[in-house]
This record gives sequence, structure tokens and C-alpha cells, in this order.
Amino acid sequence: MGGQAEFYGKTLVSIGDAFTRYTSELIRLIAQMSLGTGALVLIGGTTAIVAFLTLSTGALVAVQGYNQFSDVGVEALIGFASAFFNVRLIAPLTAGIAMAATIGAGATAQLGAMRINEEIDALEVMGIRSVAYLASTRVAAGIVVVIPVYCVAVMSSFFAARFGTTFFYGQSTGVYDHYFYTFLSTKDLLWSFVLAVLMAAVIMLVHTYYGYNASGGPAGVGEAVGRAVRTSLITASVVVLFVSLAIYGQTGNFNLAG
Amino acid sequence: MVAIGIVAKPFRGLGGFFAMALDTFACMFRRPFAWREYLLQSWFVARVSLVPTLFLSIPFTVLTVFTFNVLLVEFGAADFSGTGASLGTVNQTGPIVTVLVVAGAGATSMCADLGARTIREELDALRVMGINPIQTLVVPRVLAATTVALLLSSLVILVGLAGGFFFSVYFQHVTPGAFVAGMTLITGVGDVIVALVKATLFGLTAGLIACYMGTSVGGGPAGVGNAVNETVVFSFIALFVINVIITAVGFQVTL
Repeated sequence: MGGQAEFYGKTLVSIGDAFTRYTSELIRLIAQMSLGTGALVLIGGTTAIVAFLTLSTGALVAVQGYNQFSDVGVEALIGFASAFFNVRLIAPLTAGIAMAATIGAGATAQLGAMRINEEIDALEVMGIRSVAYLASTRVAAGIVVVIPVYCVAVMSSFFAARFGTTFFYGQSTGVYDHYFYTFLSTKDLLWSFVLAVLMAAVIMLVHTYYGYNASGGPAGVGEAVGRAVRTSLITASVVVLFVSLAIYGQTGNFNLAG
Repeated sequence: MVAIGIVAKPFRGLGGFFAMALDTFACMFRRPFAWREYLLQSWFVARVSLVPTLFLSIPFTVLTVFTFNVLLVEFGAADFSGTGASLGTVNQTGPIVTVLVVAGAGATSMCADLGARTIREELDALRVMGINPIQTLVVPRVLAATTVALLLSSLVILVGLAGGFFFSVYFQHVTPGAFVAGMTLITGVGDVIVALVKATLFGLTAGLIACYMGTSVGGGPAGVGNAVNETVVFSFIALFVINVIITAVGFQVTL
């Protein structure tokens, strides 16, 4: 725990250095993270994966919401469910999960392999501060990348909910759009962006820590990736929980009457 | 020729995956069944997944219950928060948390373990000795993932409901009796069965993906890391798709 806290502190402090001294590395990482590397590039990289996962959860809103609402005869309100649950709950959580799986686990695998091949020690010997050069740049790149990726995530979750409701269940688009735009609030959307950025920072910190401290040969890298995914999923969901409790609080910041 | 190779690569991977899945299903019914490996693997998967399950299901349900309650309090129907909690937990949060745990915890450690064995050429050694690695290593792992996923999903649902109960009653001042009475209002046996079927399929798919990725590792430490990374991504994608499809089918069947 102490080691982790120290590493996180060092990484966060050196983010400034990452921007000023290692700009080219930072830009390379941003390009790599947004479009992915290796085998993942074949299926469209991080952005496509995030979009795909949020598409499927958006479709879930349509399926679950429509069936449940039509039980009580208020299926017209499905547009409201999309605007309310997608923004507050589903899109941030899904995007966070997808980010942990793609960018985060990728970073752990890269850093872990570097550690095992003693490349990190080589960097230190050359007088490059490895935490700033490897970890801080990745955390900064993750925070930069999450903004466009999250835009794609929100849009695709809205699209999937709308498409599922109007196309498969045959609701008229006018009814859907009316309730959707009535209950879509700018403030909620902005807060959900804050949530996404915070999650990205936490996820990248956890994943770089586990990659940076991998040990035990090839098997160790695999184990480090697994452990990093577990830890970051838990921390990300706890962060979402506490931040949304802090944002929406007891009042809920929600007014049905408009 | 190079262009054809690049285009064909993902399809070759997909084909390899299905071939291994078929082999696995065929070997499942062939004696002798590796009981010892099955029990050890079940214990292994359960051990790595138990703590993440508890820590993931509580925040997820509390979030869902909280968002639902904000809505219900606005309607003046806070007494129905039990209905919302059980609906959310049994139908969605339960399976999704199971996905996260099975794919994020179980499948990753299984893939790392198998990948390390592949790198150390233990699988080739088995083949030389005339032992089929699919029968001795893959089948017990896939079955172990399936069993543990099924067991975990009931744990997720129970922990989730308990968490939702405490949160609603002590933080949002819902009457405990009303919460319990509302729980079975919409959610019935059918929904629970659908949730368990989902969990079984999740475990099976995640196990197959992890074993395929683990046995086809190549290229040293970076290879193992990438294989684990791909396992997480592919199993998330596959499981989310399965979730949507089963939810839609489940509604047709249970209603």
C-alpha cells in the first residue's frame, strides 16, 4: 500500500515533466492509445471497442427498459430512461470497464515486458527518469484520450437505445425524441465527463503501477495484467460510486416537472 | 500475398478459436475425465474471483439502487425501491458484475497460467508424451470457469440485494418491510433462471477464450502480456453481446 501511494504520488507530480520534456513520447502514446496497437488494431482499436461495448449496453437499455415499461404501460418514457440512466450510470461505467480492458491492460503488458527485459533499468542507467518517462506520460495520455473516446461512448449508447426502441420495438421516433430531449440535462452530461476523466486517471495509475513493478518472467507479466485489471475495475467502480454520491447527493439534482 | 495475409489474420484466429472449441466439446465426453485438475482449477478460479466479486457487486448495486431511488423519491414511490433493487440486480447488475469478474479475474489468471506453460513449451512436451493437452488442461479449465461463474452469479445477486437493502434502509430511509415486500413484485423465478443461464454461458465463453489465447501465445514476455490483454477485450465483447441477446430472448420466454 505504501509503495503504491508513493508511486502514484511520484507519477502525478511528474505529469508536468511529461508534458514539457517528453512531448514527443506523449504524442506517440496518445496516437497509440486512441487507435490501439498490435492485434487490437485489426478490429478497430480502443475507440471501436469502447463504441461497441457501449452500443451493446445501450441496446440493453432499449430491451430491458421497453419490456419493463410496457408492463406498466408507460413505454413512451423509454426516451427518458435513455437520457437518465445512460448518462448517469451506464455510459461512464461501461466506458471505464472498456478503458481498463484496452488501454489499461495494454499499458501493463507493455511496461511489464519492459521491466522483465530490463529495459526500465537501462533507461535509469541512461539518466532518464523512468517514472516520468513511462508512467506519467501514459497517465497523461490516458486522460487526454478519454475525452474523445467518451464522446463516442455516449453517442453510441444513445444511438443504440434509440435504434433499438424505434426500429426493433416500433416506437415512433417523435415520441422517443420528445422524452429524450426533455430529460437530457447538460449538467448531468458534464458531470459524467468528469466521472470519465477521473476514472481514466485512476485506471491508468493502477495499471502503470502493476506493469512497472512486474516480476517473475513471462508468467509474471501475465499475472500482473490480471491483477491490474481486477484492482482497477474495483477502484474505478468505487470512485464512480463516491463521486456520483457526491455529485447527486441526497437531493438527486433531478426534477421531473422540468 | 502480404495483403492477403493481413486480411486473413483475424479470420484465421476466429477459425482457430472455433476449432479449439469444437475439440473441447468433443473431449468433454471422452474418458478419462481429469477430475483432479477440474477441482484444482475450480478452487483456483473461485479463489481469484471471490474478493473482486464482493468488492464489485456492492458499489454497482448501490449505484443502481441510488439512481433508481432518486427517481422513485421524485415520483413519491420510494416504497417500491425494493422492486427497483431486485429488478436491477437480478436482471442486469448481477450478470454484468459476473461478466466483469469472470472475464477480468478468472479468465485473465487462467490465460496467464496457460500462456506461461505454452512459453515454457510444456504443452509441446505433453503432446510428445502422447497426452492431449485439450483433454487434460483445456476441458477441466473451461468446465471449472463455467461452474464457478454459475456459483458466483448467485453470490453476486445475494450480496447485491443485501447491499441495496442496507443502502436504501439506512441512507435513504425506505421502510424495510416495504423494501422486502416490493422485491418480488416484478422479478420472479423466470428472471432468476435467466440470470443463472446467462452466468453459465458467460463462464463457458470466457473459459474458451482464455484457453484459446493461452494456448496460442507466442513471443516471450510481451506475448503473454498481450494475450492476457486480448483475452480481457475479447471476452468483454463476447459477453456483452451474449448478455443483450439472452436478455431479449429471456423476455420472450418468461413473459
